[in-house]
Amino acid sequence: MTVVMRLDEITLEYPVPRQYRNEDIKPSGVRNISLDIRQGEVLGIIGRNGSGKSTLLKMMAGVFPPDSGTISARGSVSLLAGVGVGFHKELTGRENAYLYGALMGRNKEQIDALIEEIQDFAELEHHFDRPIRTYSSGMKSRLGISVATSFKPDILLIDEVLGVGDAAFKEKSKAKVRELIDASGSVVIVSHSYSMLSQICDRILVLEQGETIVLDEAATSIKIYQRLIKS
Amino acid sequence: MVGMAFVSQIRQINCDTIAAFMCAGKIPPNMESEQGMEPLTPLWGKRSTLRLPFIVMADLIRSRNLLRLLVKRDLSARYRRAYLGYAWAVLEPLLLAIVYTFIFTILVGSSDPLYPVKIIIGVIGWSLFARSLTTSTKSLSSSSNLFQFARVPKTVFATSGALTNAVLAFISLSSILPFYFISDLPITWNILLLPFWLMLLSFTGWSIGLLLAPIACKVPDVLNLINFLVRAGFFLSPVMWTYDMFANRFGDGWHAVVAHLNPTVIPITGMRDAVLGTSSAIPNYGYMMCFGIAIIGYIWGSIIFERNAHRAVVNL
Repeated sequence: MTVVMRLDEITLEYPVPRQYRNEDIKPSGVRNISLDIRQGEVLGIIGRNGSGKSTLLKMMAGVFPPDSGTISARGSVSLLAGVGVGFHKELTGRENAYLYGALMGRNKEQIDALIEEIQDFAELEHHFDRPIRTYSSGMKSRLGISVATSFKPDILLIDEVLGVGDAAFKEKSKAKVRELIDASGSVVIVSHSYSMLSQICDRILVLEQGETIVLDEAATSIKIYQRLIKS
Repeated sequence: MVGMAFVSQIRQINCDTIAAFMCAGKIPPNMESEQGMEPLTPLWGKRSTLRLPFIVMADLIRSRNLLRLLVKRDLSARYRRAYLGYAWAVLEPLLLAIVYTFIFTILVGSSDPLYPVKIIIGVIGWSLFARSLTTSTKSLSSSSNLFQFARVPKTVFATSGALTNAVLAFISLSSILPFYFISDLPITWNILLLPFWLMLLSFTGWSIGLLLAPIACKVPDVLNLINFLVRAGFFLSPVMWTYDMFANRFGDGWHAVVAHLNPTVIPITGMRDAVLGTSSAIPNYGYMMCFGIAIIGYIWGSIIFERNAHRAVVNL
């Protein structure tokens, strides 16, 4: 099976505040993570708050360099991180879509070709040409999902935003993620929703204090995670 | 305007060829080759220090579309809510010139009819340098929400800030147009040097900003220091005074050498000469120091930035 991204023993630690240095505190971050992301798979990441899920995604996206270990990838990677991240409040939805595309390394013609699809999928109608500051949070995340999926990255990283919007839009986003996978893209999803993870993920990584607990099939991993949080 | 033209001009040369050429050898050997697929490439491959200044340029050329959009965004955001819009870019130096001329005439009793023009040029040149320096020093923290989700060269944000200010400076220059009628300024080919000196000011400020940006993430005091330097630099740079005034007073002793350490002295004087058709007696070492600071600043700044910025933003 083709590997699209390989993490090899990667570690990144955040500094511990000075007044805690003498105590025996484990710095937060991620430690010694190794995994392969295969072509066309959906990898879920689950873990408690502060277990290093978002840090790991940022490293996969190539935003944060690891302190040690190597990350290698092929193709384009894009990270959909939270509601409204990467959007400029004063710009309209359309202008933001162009900016996002440019940040993804697309040129104007490539974005021109996709802009209608983005507008249709986000269901924003005339709001598409109004500044983002007038958007509700649901509208912002619809725009985010629409933009991030339309540019069809080879690896799409999603940080807790698929569960937004009303039921109908949730279904639509899931379908869109499927479509992306069918086009041989790979997806990594961070979420707290068991039902969503078990529905769309092939494998799930369980993180605890920055370390891998288990990386296995969706059902197995979820069972282990549920036992972990009860203990 | 000219700044935009500059950006689109870069576009016309076959940029990707240049970028590929500059990065030749940067991509490490294949880790794993599969038929018909690009290989797995390390995201943080080793890069030799001496190559970094070229890598930064290549990154910027490759990100030209993003740069253009960011500049456009900054420009439209700057005066979007003002009724007079871009007219403010012209009004600001003009109004400042009126105030300074007034003060200066009272204090020194100078009756130089061209003094307002000199001040306008000084204000435009100095503020371009100061703003390029400040925006690029702050660029990592101010644009953190833009590079947190995609792999983009982080130098792009410092550069778009400097380019935006360069475009505004070109717009501001139209405030000297009235003096072509009032004071009968000469129109010579020297005027073509004006954009060159402006770009040099922006470039030097941007380079020093690149040098300081990673430290500014960790030590916010750098920003306080920059604020102080910008205020003090206003008086230490030829904004209210001219090169001739300085030369007449101090001659060419060590004072003069120290004064040339200020990278704005020669460009602002050059701009004044270009507009007024004069030629100031700038010694050769003055030019050498000015270009030297710009080039060394860029080499040093790009190396420090590329070596430290990526890790520095983790703690933002």
